[in-house]
Amino acid sequence: MPPAAALRYWAERWQGVVLSLVVVVATLWLGLSGQLGLYIHPRYFVFTIAMAVIGLVLVAAGFARRRTFEVEHTGRFETTLTGVGVVLLLVMGVAMVVVPPTTLSSATATQREVNSGGLGTENDAEQAAALIGTGDFEQLSVREWVSLLAQSSDPAFYADKTAQVIGFVTPDAKDPENVFYVARFVVTCCAVDAQPIGVPVYLPNWQAEYEVDDWVQVTGRFDQSVSAAASDPLAITPVEILVVDQPNDPYVY
Amino acid sequence: MVLAVFVVRALSPAFVDEQLSDFQLPDRVQDTLTLAISVIIESVPFVLLGILLSAVVQVWLPHGVLARHLPRNPILRRASISLLGMFFPVCECGNVPLARGFMVGGFTVSESITFLLAAPILNPITIITTHQAFGWDGHILVARLVGGFLIANVVGWLFSKHPDPQSLLTTRFAAACAVGSTSGHDHAHARESRFSQTTEIFIRETSVIMPALFIGSAVAALTQVFVPRSVLLALGSNPVWSVLAMMALAFIVAVCSNVDAFFVLSFGSTFLPGGIVAFLVFGALIDVKMLALMRTTFTSRTLLQITVVVGLMSAALGLLVNYVA
Repeated sequence: MPPAAALRYWAERWQGVVLSLVVVVATLWLGLSGQLGLYIHPRYFVFTIAMAVIGLVLVAAGFARRRTFEVEHTGRFETTLTGVGVVLLLVMGVAMVVVPPTTLSSATATQREVNSGGLGTENDAEQAAALIGTGDFEQLSVREWVSLLAQSSDPAFYADKTAQVIGFVTPDAKDPENVFYVARFVVTCCAVDAQPIGVPVYLPNWQAEYEVDDWVQVTGRFDQSVSAAASDPLAITPVEILVVDQPNDPYVY
Repeated sequence: MVLAVFVVRALSPAFVDEQLSDFQLPDRVQDTLTLAISVIIESVPFVLLGILLSAVVQVWLPHGVLARHLPRNPILRRASISLLGMFFPVCECGNVPLARGFMVGGFTVSESITFLLAAPILNPITIITTHQAFGWDGHILVARLVGGFLIANVVGWLFSKHPDPQSLLTTRFAAACAVGSTSGHDHAHARESRFSQTTEIFIRETSVIMPALFIGSAVAALTQVFVPRSVLLALGSNPVWSVLAMMALAFIVAVCSNVDAFFVLSFGSTFLPGGIVAFLVFGALIDVKMLALMRTTFTSRTLLQITVVVGLMSAALGLLVNYVA
């Protein structure tokens, strides 16, 4: 078979089956190793795994099927385009299987602007109010504090409440020298819609001790931010900052 | 082959290891990859479901049975077709193989377009999630359902006036349709078992849809990483710009219509309701990933026409909500 025809044959006969195989294997492996949550919301786990198993059966049937057909003759331009497409797809397929899965980084948090969306629902506000009522403020996560900060920036409200939050470090857009966010991504469907949320921490020259994307546990109280340039009027004045491991569920759902 | 890929996956690094940090990709490249993979993993189950349902329509149901049981009056017929999504809730990515199956099974091009544009909104899952997110607030749910129905039927009506509907399709898909309608599966494939035909449809459809999905996901991921979102968010409170900005956001984000209500809910405080409605209507029908998927079936010119009409009607709907409701 001449190379152009062979390429066309590959694209029509094998490409779909091989790409499906890559996705199915990646999905099942992520499911088995408990990392599917890095990409999609838990409510889809059962459906996704079930369809991946069905997909595996179809892929096996696709490989087993004997099929011969004539490929159409195509021009040089179209052959080149098919070739580029096949190479690109193979690179993506290999990357999907070989590159270790990971969370989104603070590059995306910065690009999407922390606290520009992802919160503000009544549920979050109710949850935060209920937890505040218990008096055990360490139970409040980044999500609840962000919800409270959206409702009130009166320092008196926060004066007697010590926060303890876990998240990754990402710099404040307006005063990156002195303020960073302890941030999390909120996911509604899959990582594509992840919205960064975070609480500001005031610590001049924080870069000397912590790196962007480090996971930290910050303890302290909210107060009027000393930084005049910062995006938020309030910030945590930290009493203690611990570098911690990334949690098993890095995203908030 | 199947085992080989499992072995490769098992031998590849499982986590981003600190000691292997020399091999780590730059943040933006890594994020692009993460985003693209997340779109693919989210969409493929729906695509597979769509292909299976498409195979049911083509192989397991008697030929043309759906087309026969619909009203004959073209307008009523398209109106009924736009409600078919209530029975095939496969999300917009899965609708593409299903719409292709419908065309092979006897639907006209304009009827398939109507299905493709109506089903993402007029299906039970989308209705439930939109209701959960917004309740009856600000007429968002009603505007979405009525808007989706109207747009799908108007676009379907426009394309039904086309003198040569086959020219709206890619040559490759038009050829496949011609084979499907002349031979029917009763004769040409009589010797083959239905399972064998289903496998054949799986091979054929994945060879077209999967590359489109991969490319669409890559484009969606690249746009997300490199186009700053702050530009769009700054426009939220202006009645006109909020509509256009939310449509642009919907186009870039490419989130499934089944859950986009939860996503856009978080922008409810920043954007006017008309912007939210425009997002929910336009984004469910047209986005970067969907265009890549639909390009498997329709010519670029057809897609441009569909995008323009859907865009204009969504914008008009958004403005109507902002100024009148």
